[in-house]
Amino acid sequence: MIRFEQVSVTYDGAARPALREVDLTVPEGELCLLVGPSGSGKSTLLGAVSGLVPHFTGGTLRGRVTVAGRDTRTHKPRELADVVGTVGQDPLAHFVTDTVEDELAYGMESLGVPPDTMRRRVEETLDLLGLAELRDRPIAALSGGQRQRVAIGSVLTTHPRVLVLDEPTSALDPAAAEEVLAVLQRLVHDLGTTVLMAEHRLERVVQYADQVILLPSPDAAPLVGEPAEIMPVSPVQPPVVALGGLAGWSPVPLSVRDARRKAGPLRERLTGAAPRAVADPAPGPPVAEVSRLAVRHGRVEALRGVGLSVRPGETVALMGRNGAGKSTLLASLVGMHQPASGSVRVGGGEEEAGHGGVVPHRTRPAELLRHVGLVPQEPRDLLYADTVAAECAAADRDADVAPGTCRALVARLLPDVADTTHPRDLSEGQRLALALSVVLTARPPLLLLDEPTRGLDYAAKARLVEVVRELAADGHATVLATHDVELAAELAHRVVILAEGEVVADGPMAEVVVSSPAFAPQVAKILAPLPWLTVPQVREALETAP
Amino acid sequence: MSTTPPRTTSGPATRLIAPLRAPAAVRGGALHAGAWWLWALGLATAASRTTNPLLLGLLIAVAGYVVAARRTDAPWARSYTAFLKLGLLVLAIRLFFAVFLGSPIPGARVLFTLPEVPLPDWAQGVRIGGRVTAEGLVFALYDGLKLATLLICVGAANALASPARLLKSLPGALYEAGVAIVVAMTFAPQLVSDVQRLRAARRLRGRPDHGIRALLQVGLPVLEGALERSVALAAAMDARGYGRTAQVPPAVRRVTAALTLGGLLGVACGTYGLLAAEGADYGLPLLLAGLAAALGGLWLGGRRSVRTRYRPDRWGVRAWLVSGSGAAVAAVMIWAASYAPQALQPPAVPLTAPTLPLWPAAGVLLGLLPAFAAPAPPRSAPEPAAVTRRKRLPEPPGGVPGPRADRPAMERDTHDARPDGRPDADSEEA
Amino acid sequence: MSAVDGVDTMTGRRVRPVRLGPRSVAALALVSAVGVVAFGWPLFAPGDSGVTTHAADAPWLFAALLPLLLAVVVATIADTGLDAKAIAMIGVLAAAGAALRPLGAGTAGIEPMFFLMVLSGRVLGPGFGFVLGAVSMFASALLTGGVGPWMPFQMLAMGWVSMGAGLLPGPSRLRGRGELLLLAAYGAVASVAYGTVMNLQGWTLMQGMGSGISYVPGDPVGENLARFVAYCLATSLGWDLPRAVVTVVLTLVLGGTVLKALRRATRRAAFDATAVFEER
Repeated sequence: MIRFEQVSVTYDGAARPALREVDLTVPEGELCLLVGPSGSGKSTLLGAVSGLVPHFTGGTLRGRVTVAGRDTRTHKPRELADVVGTVGQDPLAHFVTDTVEDELAYGMESLGVPPDTMRRRVEETLDLLGLAELRDRPIAALSGGQRQRVAIGSVLTTHPRVLVLDEPTSALDPAAAEEVLAVLQRLVHDLGTTVLMAEHRLERVVQYADQVILLPSPDAAPLVGEPAEIMPVSPVQPPVVALGGLAGWSPVPLSVRDARRKAGPLRERLTGAAPRAVADPAPGPPVAEVSRLAVRHGRVEALRGVGLSVRPGETVALMGRNGAGKSTLLASLVGMHQPASGSVRVGGGEEEAGHGGVVPHRTRPAELLRHVGLVPQEPRDLLYADTVAAECAAADRDADVAPGTCRALVARLLPDVADTTHPRDLSEGQRLALALSVVLTARPPLLLLDEPTRGLDYAAKARLVEVVRELAADGHATVLATHDVELAAELAHRVVILAEGEVVADGPMAEVVVSSPAFAPQVAKILAPLPWLTVPQVREALETAP
Repeated sequence: MSTTPPRTTSGPATRLIAPLRAPAAVRGGALHAGAWWLWALGLATAASRTTNPLLLGLLIAVAGYVVAARRTDAPWARSYTAFLKLGLLVLAIRLFFAVFLGSPIPGARVLFTLPEVPLPDWAQGVRIGGRVTAEGLVFALYDGLKLATLLICVGAANALASPARLLKSLPGALYEAGVAIVVAMTFAPQLVSDVQRLRAARRLRGRPDHGIRALLQVGLPVLEGALERSVALAAAMDARGYGRTAQVPPAVRRVTAALTLGGLLGVACGTYGLLAAEGADYGLPLLLAGLAAALGGLWLGGRRSVRTRYRPDRWGVRAWLVSGSGAAVAAVMIWAASYAPQALQPPAVPLTAPTLPLWPAAGVLLGLLPAFAAPAPPRSAPEPAAVTRRKRLPEPPGGVPGPRADRPAMERDTHDARPDGRPDADSEEA
Repeated sequence: MSAVDGVDTMTGRRVRPVRLGPRSVAALALVSAVGVVAFGWPLFAPGDSGVTTHAADAPWLFAALLPLLLAVVVATIADTGLDAKAIAMIGVLAAAGAALRPLGAGTAGIEPMFFLMVLSGRVLGPGFGFVLGAVSMFASALLTGGVGPWMPFQMLAMGWVSMGAGLLPGPSRLRGRGELLLLAAYGAVASVAYGTVMNLQGWTLMQGMGSGISYVPGDPVGENLARFVAYCLATSLGWDLPRAVVTVVLTLVLGGTVLKALRRATRRAAFDATAVFEER
């Protein structure tokens, strides 16, 4: 269905090709997963399938790409629109119209599909994707998972034979991701659609893949094969594969179910041992104290009766489905919302223990900066300048610290970024690191991270884990709101689960998540009821105990 | 979503009328947006034919009643009030001029006299201050009220017709521009919420999050973000088949070009002809012929588009009724202008009390038809429903409303993602 | 398209997102000529001409005529060169313009929209500018429910403002302070001129023998001109002058960074991207 013959792509003005000598074939009706670190050419490869590379982006394409027999050299993207459906990273940038039904019809209108056919296909697609109840809704009022489904639906109505998706689940919570993946499964199984999908969140998708294409870097040739062949040699692995490798299982399991069936002996070996807990923070006066907090957005109560206390050096994971109030709680801690009732206090390190910190929404921003720092979901929101150097200089001024403080932090978190780079040209991971440096410039004792792993590849995520651990060792407290259970399992001392604006669980990570179907990390699911959460814990136990 | 409020029906009369009652507005039976505009323009034409304040007041009342009966809770539906205010402003300006800048209306009843400002010779037509007569004021009032009524009729159309649906009726040749407008209309609210979000985020950098300075500094990142998104949008449009064109035979292309340019040339000559003293004879016909040719070119230009339309608004019986009622009002008033000129243009000199002419007034009432003929918009907006429910439910202690299990799952999902639907700074996936 | 992020195709050549063919130029010129009459007839039509004898209906005639002409000219431009990139960028900039417009409503003359329109016209060229100006006014009228007889005039006038910015000299040479001064001066003139021609249109609507500063059909041009000047002084100068000042201040203070952002976006959109294919 998709054929790449010796394809290399070089963008105008670029010294090196973004994609080099790729040779691959994706047969009809397969779900093919594209894996690789940021900057390895995944987007370029996906763009080459839809013809956007090079027709839209410019550049030189050497070799030949054919999709359903059509050569992209002679077919522009719009002439491939009836065989290839493309959904980009940001569904909001994908929508041309404003309501669900019109959006589903838009592609067909462009192709000149007859009105009766359009009507029938819209109804079919509404049913297929479970969108029937949303048909008249404005797109702006949909949740993330619904938007992603509408985006997929909007390209499905033209009945494409190939579906190209760029990170369809990375911005979604686990439940919404399941919805989207279930839809993709259905397309592959029932309609024989060929799906080519790039995704960083391997733990979610690898079990569904028929084929994996691994792009190690733009200079290396891609590895193509079945998931069980490719995963063991891949530099990035979901925990289930890593655990399989550690335990020496063959073939490597791809799903929790496969792994559990092989995990009996491992469970036995581990029964006596106990995982080394994440080092407990030193006791001290809390750096954040929230009690009986209620926040309202108009008539909706986003939070009610929430209590939370964070000690220095502690890392707290805030979990819960989209809309549960995680972001609202973080925003309240920096004073972006005025509490309807209850109280919030932050700061209050040693020197201020006497009067217990400050009330965020009544504190001047310049003062608050020294008590608490938040990196929002979209780190871009914090960056205003047009070069990294200017951003750092501004951060030093904002925090009123010695010039060069922020630049030194950037140098540590982002070693290879030039001063003159535009912050918008950075990759997601680099941008997060820059925003983090800006926030850390004022050395706040409490750091808040909202969904920090969105769009990060494994390397960037590993670096984030390192940074947060160092900060914790330094006595910084961190609260991170995240859907990423694997990240939470690696980092957090404590997890707080929110639902409908209330705290429904608060306790040590291992106790809270092991039994939870939604929030348990893969290792916990495999080794349940044993309290192991991460692969490094298991590795350590296996290394120390013979 | 769209259920008619249940009414207890009893008696043979109601049973007879029930099938005639306007259905609830759903997409399939939606009234063509153009029908509202024709109706409103009919009322506006009627208003332009009279200065009788009673008739004008009646027109405003008719438009207001229909708007009240048939508007939705969409944002544009609020424009009726805005236009009402604008009309009052126009009226006020008109009276202000009449008082301070004098009025050439010969009037005998001097109300008061303002001191007159001497002006140089070149401004001989202008007078500031001087006598203010009752006749002058009444004339200005009538004239201002006429203009205000025109504006209010246009405001009614703005409030009733959905702009998005109107755009769907654009001819094929304007498809590209139509897409740009749709994109602009979807992006504008997103930009506003981006500005709010970024302004709030300034707090995180230790900078003040309010004031004009904050707004200015946030503007640039918002613009940059929007421009970046425009590239992604263009890629998505391209990949979804935007800009596919049909093969148009060269002959058709040439004819299109000739019609368009020739037509525009005709329009230009016609307009300049109107400027000349003797131009009135050939100016208007030339202009109209040119216009017809240019529109022909526009229509022919639509041939290059292969696009089809999904569920276009159909011009049904109800659309005929709505637009017809507007046309009827206009026709009655135009006829009345020659039948009873005195009643339609009550003279300001000498001052006489205006009377309400019976037949023209009855004709204006025809404009009420849409209030019964047009499909009724759903009245079941989620918010009011929630309010009534909350009122009925006994509130648990501590002011915490009960669990919202009575809403369907889907709906709960969205409402949780975006509290009360407003673009929110911190909703989980803005 | 994260892969193209680092690519910088900085060329001295100016990109033209919307190409104007000879047909489009002719159509634009003709419609502009009609527009001049539609705005200016009260000042240069002699007393016995066709328009002045039907002076009460003339503003409505032009209000009905202009939208059709604008439709024809926009369709002609679209026929030759409005690709997805141009449409998306026009849409986004028009959204920005439309979102900026209510900001200034009511507060005397704070209309940052002019600033954006002038700068966009400068960076993206006259054809893009004309379509952008017209689309912005239309979209903002739809968004705020402000469709009225003035709308086609606003569309045409804003189209001219933005197109004029695209026609300023030195589009690819002049940079830095000189460019900002040029744009600030143009912005000041354009915003006053826009206000004045829109006054001209409102003046004819408010005609009738109501007062000493109203349009009187058939009077000598000199007298009407004097009345018009008085009308402008009395009604809108309080808006037009602050608006010009705001435009100048914004251009001088923020112009540099906004121009840079617009140029960067234009570069990233790669309007003149050429796809090259090579055999293996």
